[in-house]
Amino acid sequence: MSKKGILIAVEGMDGSGKSTQAKLLYHWLRAKGLPVFHTEWNSSKIVKEATKIGKNTRRLLPITFHMIHAADFADRWAQQIEPVLEIGGIVICDRYKYTAMARDGSRDVPREVIEDTYSFAREPDLTLYFDVPVDVSFDRIAKGRPKLKFYEAGMDMGWTSDPFESYRIFQGKVSEIYSGLVEEGRIIRLDAQGTVAEVQSRVRGTFDEHIDLSSVQVIDQSDRLAQNLSESGIDWLTYSGGEGQ
Amino acid sequence: MSHAGKLIVIEGPDHVGRTLHSRLLSARLKANGIATHTIGLARSELMGAIVKSRTADIHQLNWRTRSLLYATDLHDQIKHEAEPLLAAGFVVIADRYSLTPRIREQVRGGDGDWIDSLYSDTPEPDALIVLHAGPRRLLDRIMFGEELEALNHFEAGMDLALSTSITSSFLQYQKILRQEFQEAGKKAGAVLIPTRHTVQDVHDRIWESVSPVVEHMLQPIGEN
Repeated sequence: MSKKGILIAVEGMDGSGKSTQAKLLYHWLRAKGLPVFHTEWNSSKIVKEATKIGKNTRRLLPITFHMIHAADFADRWAQQIEPVLEIGGIVICDRYKYTAMARDGSRDVPREVIEDTYSFAREPDLTLYFDVPVDVSFDRIAKGRPKLKFYEAGMDMGWTSDPFESYRIFQGKVSEIYSGLVEEGRIIRLDAQGTVAEVQSRVRGTFDEHIDLSSVQVIDQSDRLAQNLSESGIDWLTYSGGEGQ
Repeated sequence: MSHAGKLIVIEGPDHVGRTLHSRLLSARLKANGIATHTIGLARSELMGAIVKSRTADIHQLNWRTRSLLYATDLHDQIKHEAEPLLAAGFVVIADRYSLTPRIREQVRGGDGDWIDSLYSDTPEPDALIVLHAGPRRLLDRIMFGEELEALNHFEAGMDLALSTSITSSFLQYQKILRQEFQEAGKKAGAVLIPTRHTVQDVHDRIWESVSPVVEHMLQPIGEN
């Protein structure tokens, strides 16, 4: 079976800057006139309702958390990711199955269970892991917030009674699992420290190193989609106006 | 996993008599001094209300998502109800467990092995009963029951495009389901019981296959 399309995933802790970078990557590829689609790990309506009940009643357990998130992902896979890949497009996934490995794994769901549940989701062509020290991402998320949510902080695991301490423990475990995935060669570590532009330049460099775009069909320039792709009608490839170019 | 209680699973299509017989079995066990608890599809506190109120939406989803939602529903009941009660020595009756959600998707092209993997960590049934009935019998029960129920699009397998007629589709779909249930049931070591007989007869056959499992727990009612 020949593998169709190009699948890119970004992973990392909350506050690692990966979503900003994923969107920039998306806009860059669009500006090149490539058929690219961007998708985030957002919950569908049904799952949102169920998780709300589960969170309010604190009924969610690691295994049900795992299943319900997988339901969400499967929905996104079937509706968005798989169809775009099937027609040879590029998909950028903001969070992929490795998020489940990191988060559910931190909640002691066995790795084999997670792998089985997500076995339909193929290994991406490139997975960028936005690596920042736990302290940095912790500060970005936790600083200035009066409190953290029960499940967000991993309080359901009963590691400690202090939510901020619990969150730090949780993120520490998440980070450890991501590091393991880097060692297994399944995700590629990218230094996410620095300015947005610095990190984006690393993103593009890594992308170019790993991804061969020759098989991707450039959108027919006579099609009105080509105009949609470049949005404002400005050809960013040759654009030299504006400030500081 | 060993526990003091027993897990009795009753599977089969809609209108075959599963719920009725789960209730009768539960009543008989209770009369014999055994605490029972019934679980089943779309009954969890986490998902039950949502699955019931959003059935049509759920039928629109792809089979993987649907399987995962039903798996979440069952796991919630297993973790919060079945496992603790089994440990305490209850007989837990599952009015559908992991077989129905698998077969329903398998006939729609879903990957049965993958669906099974979602239930890999669940307690094994101590007795597995598959109730079955001919498609026409099921259809009659729906159409000529106490109140006429509208045939459900999904239950009639209309999404499989077997026929433009809902009754004909129902008959063809239930025939396929019945074959799958019998095959899967045999493979899983289930007792297959047709429900074409009287309620009493069917109950007796169910009791026959359940009583060896619970024999040591029975407290005789005695005579007055």
